[in-house]
Order: sequence, then C-alpha cells, then structure tokens
Amino acid sequence: MLFGWRSLVVSSLLFGMVATAETRPQYGGTLHVATRIAPASFDPADNSQPDSVARRNLSRLMFDTLVVMDHRGHLQPALATSWQAAPGSQRWQFWLRRGVKFHDGLPLTPEAVAASLRVPNPGWNVSAGVDSVVIEREAAAPDLPAELARARNGIAKRGAGGSVIGTGPFHASDWQPGKKLSLSAYEEYWGGRAFLDAIEVEMGRSNRDQLIALELGKTDIAEVATEQAQRTIGNGRRVVTSAPVELMALVFSRDKQSSEEGKQRDALALSIDRASIRSVVLQGVGEPSGALLPNWVTGYAFVFSSDQNLGRARQERSEIQHAPAWTLGYDAGDPLARVIAERIALNARDAGITVQTTMSANPDLRLTRLVLSSPNPRIALPAVAAAAGVGAPNLNSNSIDELYQAENAILQTQRLVPLFQLPAGFALSSALQDWSEDRDGTWHMDDVWLGSTRP
Amino acid sequence: MISPRQPAVYNSPIAEMLIPSPGFSSRASSLLLVLCFWLTPLSYGADWSTPEQELARKIAAVTGPGTVALEVVDRASLNKKDVDDISRGLRVHLETLGLRAVKPEQAAATVQVSLSENLQSSVWVAEIHQGAGEFSVVMVTAPRLDEATFAGEPAPLNIRKIPLWSQEERILDVAVLEEGSSPSHLAVLDPDKVALYRFTDGRWQREQVMEVIHSRPWPRDMRGRLVPRQDHLLDAYLPGVICQSSNSTPISLACRASDDPWPLSSSFTLGGFFAPTRNYFTGVFSPGIGKLSSTGKFFSAAPIPRQNYTLWMFATVDGQIHLLDGITDQTTRWNWGSDLTSVKTLCGSGWQILATRPSDNVTDSVRAYELPDREPVLASQAVDFAGGVTALWTEAKGSTAIVVSRNAETGNYDAFRLAITCGQ
Repeated sequence: MLFGWRSLVVSSLLFGMVATAETRPQYGGTLHVATRIAPASFDPADNSQPDSVARRNLSRLMFDTLVVMDHRGHLQPALATSWQAAPGSQRWQFWLRRGVKFHDGLPLTPEAVAASLRVPNPGWNVSAGVDSVVIEREAAAPDLPAELARARNGIAKRGAGGSVIGTGPFHASDWQPGKKLSLSAYEEYWGGRAFLDAIEVEMGRSNRDQLIALELGKTDIAEVATEQAQRTIGNGRRVVTSAPVELMALVFSRDKQSSEEGKQRDALALSIDRASIRSVVLQGVGEPSGALLPNWVTGYAFVFSSDQNLGRARQERSEIQHAPAWTLGYDAGDPLARVIAERIALNARDAGITVQTTMSANPDLRLTRLVLSSPNPRIALPAVAAAAGVGAPNLNSNSIDELYQAENAILQTQRLVPLFQLPAGFALSSALQDWSEDRDGTWHMDDVWLGSTRP
Repeated sequence: MISPRQPAVYNSPIAEMLIPSPGFSSRASSLLLVLCFWLTPLSYGADWSTPEQELARKIAAVTGPGTVALEVVDRASLNKKDVDDISRGLRVHLETLGLRAVKPEQAAATVQVSLSENLQSSVWVAEIHQGAGEFSVVMVTAPRLDEATFAGEPAPLNIRKIPLWSQEERILDVAVLEEGSSPSHLAVLDPDKVALYRFTDGRWQREQVMEVIHSRPWPRDMRGRLVPRQDHLLDAYLPGVICQSSNSTPISLACRASDDPWPLSSSFTLGGFFAPTRNYFTGVFSPGIGKLSSTGKFFSAAPIPRQNYTLWMFATVDGQIHLLDGITDQTTRWNWGSDLTSVKTLCGSGWQILATRPSDNVTDSVRAYELPDREPVLASQAVDFAGGVTALWTEAKGSTAIVVSRNAETGNYDAFRLAITCGQ
C-alpha cells in the first residue's frame, strides 16, 4: 500500500494518545505557532487574502461560525443552537445561542450576526429577528448550513479603522499585519475558557525556518511542506497531516478555441507521469488525481483516471497539424511548483508537445494550488469551477450521480488538468497535548494544552 | 442511500448543559475519547439489499438484459464477509433483471463495482465497459458500514447527551422537577434516599434528603424509578417498595411495602409488576394491552403509537424483543441491550425508540431507531458511555430520557438526559 495521509494521521494519533494518558489537562502557558502565510488582515470575509488551511485555522481561533462541521461531515451547533429551512430551502432561520459575548464584552445579537454575514455574502438577504437571523436566497440552498460552517462566514464585528473582533476562544492582543499575531484566551468564551493562556503566531516564515524554530524549541507548531513530511517524520518529529485538502492542477488561461486544441490539452494530460512525480518529487505524499475533489469527499474520484498513457498522448498529438508551444507558469515562491512544472514540461516533450516553464504573469497555463473550500462536495465543486473560470455547476439535489455528472462536465471543458490531491502537514512539539484535527485540517485549539516538558 | 433532502432540515433547540458535579466531566469525557478512538466499528450483518437493488437497476438500465462479467473491488477497507455479501446480493439482483454473471470472455459487458466511501456515506461505483470503448459510470450511496446496522435508511437524527448528575452511589433515576432554559431542580434516587438539589448561585446545592425506608434487603442490580406527580412532588418505585412524597414543606417521604405495578410509560397508562427480589418485571402488566395481559419476564418496555392501536415492545430477559399490538405477541431478536424506551419528538415519524447496545466489554451505547413497520430502522449514530448503562427511563414529559451509566474509569454513576435533535 502506498504511504499516504491515512498512515500519517494514524501514526500521529497514536503518538497523541500516548502523550495524553498521563495527566488531566493543565491550564496556562503560551503556545507558539510559525506559519508561511503573512496576511494583511484576519477579517474572515476578506477575500483579498489568499485562502489556506493555516489562515482558516487562525481565523477560527478568533471567530466562531453559526454551525461547525464535525469529523464525519455532520453539522453541529455553534453560535446557532438550531436552524430550520422553509419548504424549498430558500429561506433559513438560525436561532442564536444565548449568553454569547464578543471580545469587547458586548452581547452577540441577531443584528450583529446579520451585519457580519452580509459582508462575505452580498447577494444574500439577511435579516435579524428577536433571537434569530433569517437568510433568504434567490434559489434553493439546501447546503446553506454547511456554507455557514466555512471560516469565511465567521461572525465578526467590524469597527472603524478596519478593526474586527469575534466571539472565538481567543482574542487578539497584538496584531502586526503580516508579521505577528498575539492571542489571549477569552475568559468568557461560551464553549469554556481554553486551556492555553496565549498563542503567539509568527508569520511569513519559510518552512525551513519553521522547522529550525521547532528544533530549537522556539515554536510548538510548524508547517511541513508536502515533500518534507516523510523526512520530518524520519527525523523523529511528531507530524500530523490532514486528508488531502489541496488540489494541484494545471489551469488554462482560456477556453479551448478548437477541437485541435482540445486534443492537444488531452495529449498533455495523458503525458503526465503523476506516479513518478509523486514518488520522486513529493516523496510519496499526496495522491495522484484525475478528479477535482479528493476521494474522501466524493467517494468516486478513482473513476477519473490519473494514469500516464504516453501511447494515447502521442496518438492524440499525431492528429494535430499545428501544436503551438505553451508557456507554463508557476508560483516563483513555491519551490515544489518549479520542480513539478519542469517535470511536466519533460513529460509533454515525450508526447511531442512543447511546454516552456515561465514566471511571466500571463502564461498559457498555470500550475495552481486550489484549497478545498469545504468537506461538503456541493460547496467545494462550484469553488473549484470558479477558480478554473468555468461556470458554476447546477447542484440542486443530494444526488451522487448529479455531483459526478457536474464534476465530469467541468473536466470536459478541459480548462484544468488535475494532478495531485495534497494534505496539509504540521510538525508539533512534544509539549503539545490533546491535539486533534479534523480530516480537512481544522484544528481544535481550545482543547490543546501544554505539558510541562519542552524539547 | 442518502435519503432525499427533506423540505425542512432543522434541529431542535438544545437545552443548556448543566454544570455537573465536581470531577464529573473531564475524567468522563477523556475516557470517552479514549474509548471512542479504540472502538472497532461493529458489524451486525448489515442489510445492503436496498443499495444492491438500486445499483443493479442502474447497471441493467445501461446494459440491458444479457451477460456481464462482474468484479467487486473494495476501496473502503470493508471486511471480506461484507464484500462477499454485497457481491452475492448484486449478482442476485442483476439476475432478476435479466443480467447473468459469466466469465469475462463470455460477457457482453464487464462491470467493475468499487465499494468506496466519502465522508458521510458508502459510495458504490459501477464502471461499465461495453463493446469498443463504450464506457458508463453509475453509482449509488449507502449508509456507511458502522451506521448500517439494520435495513432501511437512517433518518438524520442526533442524540444529545446532556450531563445531569454524577455521584459515587448508584443512581437509580433522576427526575428534573423544574427547569427554565436548563434544569434548576433535581431529584436523584439512589438505594437509600431521594435527594433534592436546586441550582442556585451558580452551583448545585442540596436542598433536602429523604430516606427510603425498606425492611427487606435490596436485590442485586437494583433498579428504581422516580415519577413526578401533579398533586404531590413525586413517587419513587423500588423493588417491593413504593414511596410517596408529601405535599407539605418540608417534604417528607412515606414508603411502604408494595407490589403495585410500576408505570411503564409517561404517555400511556400501563403498569408492569416488578419482581421485588430480582431486577426485572414479572411479565404481567395492568390494565392490559388489548386482549393481552402478560408477556415474558422483561427488563424494559416502550410504546410506539400507531393509527388505531399502540405497539408495545418488551425487552425480555432471554434477549428477545416481544412486540404486542393487543392481539398478537410476536417475538424477534434485534441485537439490542436490555434497556429500551421510547420518546415523542418533533423529528422523523414523531416517535423514536432509544435502545442500548454493548460497545465493547465494558462500555455501552444508546442508539435511536424508528419503527416504520415491525423492523427497526437505525435513526441516529450511537451515543457512547464510559461504562455500562444501568438505567434508561423516559422522562415525565415524554420527549427526553434519563440514562445512567457506571463510569468504568471512575466507578461513579453518571446520569444524563438524552434529547433527540433533528440534525443533518
């Protein structure tokens, strides 16, 4: 069996079990987190900031959502204790938990919730009731509660000068945009005060710097690059990984203009040797994928083949009279992307297609990472479509067939070529106790506590 | 199968959690976490016939009648027996649709069925190859194996476990006597007393203790029940003893030896005679269910109202379930534990059965079931307890239940309220 995220998670959990068996949780201490991301804002609705698992997790420390999704994908109450849809699922009512306060001590009100939700969702009609909020959509929205579980819908009170506060287990005590975030436990948190006193987040740190900081005992949580996960475990570090939460794909800058271009795109997709790239470049982590969404989300991803078929690729190429050279762009700050882009260019050449890697702003196609927007496939698929510049699929029912057909239709546009489904990995210090995360990489930091020993 | 989306998807308002007694929650919850992690999903011979039938129908719609080569591939780490059962079931259903399974070289079509899963469901995918390059995909969803214990589709219900009380002495029952947004006045019955507690100044304070007077030794695995009353505070039913509180202040408790029947339901007038030196009911009840006035010795009973009658279920001491509809006494086995009760809710059909089942050697769980006909349909995931369940009674209002379990780690008895919410 291939070494994938499942075995990584299990080994990590076993470690965690052993670590937590010795004592009851202890209050106090400051947790140190290092991350690559360097956001200028932590407003959950700020779409100008790149999405990432790390950003969502930091957001959830400060901002609660109305509902949360548990590890089985079931919705659970959070700031809303109950909810109900009117027939047709266009109108939803969410009853709010009583006694919740924002970090400034003022109560959470339906008006504040409604105002918060209008910002990331300008197309929604959100109104405040006595003890509830009502959301009305133009079309049926059976997955609205799952949509509200996303970090971007965290409830925030926005003040003058861009200040933003939430109701989460931690509140910001110091914020240096893009550099440092200091969080303190919110004593009046409705879910119970967190065990930790404070969290210090150092931002804009490279993966290498993060691991050095972990080694030196200067941080407790460091991000682990996909290709470094195996080596980090091999070095005796405690590593936890999510299920695959990031799609690495080639995204074309425009629709295909002719059937010949379609054949050329097909030939390129068939030429890519994902298995070798996974084995050599990704060091065995991640899953080669021909699907847009990972199998743990849909259950059918394996139907979309990701196998290299050089014979068919050459056949397709031979049917094209003129195959223009393509430029393949990638993120210059992503060393993994550069190596994979070069491998793809080599694979393409074997099929008779010229692909030149470039860092220019307007390539023909771009190697892109797309973060899974939700474990709910009916939310995640339209997000992938939007990122690829494809029209949103029409998903009106809970039917698995409909979902499959919609995903297939997006792939048939040939706007993007899925490559890999990648997990998010984190190395943890041995002082960290009762660590747990969901399959989509969501941390449960309010349950975490620090043991007495640091490395 | 994922059931078709209901026009209204909601859950009920959730009662605020009580502040438990000292030392209650953290140890119990940490043990629960440990136990939940190590529990192996139980397999009780799940009934896959509905998804088998549906997938067979979809395959036949693509291929038409004829011959197929069928291969079933496990992509969800199922056990071999389940894979074999599903494979066999598919072949049977395909055959009824005119599709005969043959070797690949004799087949007009090859069908590879992958038994996969996603976060919430099992996903069965059939990849169908016909002729030159003709390729189709059909799929169905089914409950995941750890949720698919019985036939039918589980209704999307959740059981909320709300801690009420914890103590070293065996808790026989807990009655919530007053509550606003959360319980504020409790009665706790143990073998020696009824203790009244009131939530004031942010903590539970003992208000009064009333001794249970009895002349005979209590039986082992003792049981008891509290029943709040309109004209006085409560009655306590214990083996061979019935106690009645006064309606004066301070409240007193008058106990007498009695073999009078214990109430079996808060919604229906049926009493069961409890064996005073044992831990079960004798099997005789009053005033009777239609023409029937007895069944086997039973541990617990639960009613489910039908349009023209009430169906009673009895968990008898021999492990069977007796279904009494007033005319017949039908017996069956459902892999349930000794304790069952029913609650009236706003979810699903309006009535659910809560039944215990062992999770492993030391812990029990409770699940909710619907009973659309005479076969139970799993309606919720299991709620696990950190030890064995020692009591399960419907509360007086009929919509919630009290469950008591003995924590295998602490040895304490923990009482919870179980409330069903109409979740996702």
